[in-house]
Amino acid sequence: MAVYKVSVVVSGGGNYPGAILNLKQEPKVGDVIKLGAEDFVITEVLQLMPPRGDFHFLHVTCRPKAD
Amino acid sequence: MSIKEILKGIEMFDGLTDSDLESVAAVCRPRQFQEGDVVAEQHSPGVEMFIIEDGFVEVVVDNSDDAARKVIVNLGSGQTVGEMSLVDQGPRSATVRAISSPTVVQVVSQADFERLCDENSRIGYVVMRNIAADLSFRLRQRLMSDKRG
Repeated sequence: MAVYKVSVVVSGGGNYPGAILNLKQEPKVGDVIKLGAEDFVITEVLQLMPPRGDFHFLHVTCRPKAD
Repeated sequence: MSIKEILKGIEMFDGLTDSDLESVAAVCRPRQFQEGDVVAEQHSPGVEMFIIEDGFVEVVVDNSDDAARKVIVNLGSGQTVGEMSLVDQGPRSATVRAISSPTVVQVVSQADFERLCDENSRIGYVVMRNIAADLSFRLRQRLMSDKRG
């Protein structure tokens, strides 16, 4: 069971502080992720650290999803 | 989903056997919060660790010097909060508040955690190693956030 531990930074997101969460599916550019009540579009995905066991460590940059 | 299955998806418990996970699951207590509820208060004694099963929390630091309130990071499912208090037994360094409803956490008390590690040093070693790795991840996340700013 792969687990993607993801560090999230929002560009152009005002005061959004960033987030850390686990995802069950690998995030891809263009995916929409929900952080609390808000939706964001992923614009970049980087490996933050090498994987260990089932855990993958990624960093993604997002922008707020336009309605 | 059983607590053991939930724990399998938590980095802090990566590397534990099924038997180890059952021991950890036995000391987990579920607690539910609504948006705005305080999970842990800055400066209060850190006697519990929280595993976020579902929902989101914000980690907020109140700086008495400039009366500024700063949200450091939001944490979602699979993340842990308050584990440093289990290590250094110091007061809470930040306030943790639920920002979604419901936010479900599994709570592990410091007393149960220490007893577990004393009884099974393998659990203690693996969990401490994973806590160190998680701190490293958070430092890197912080650096990436600062780079953005």
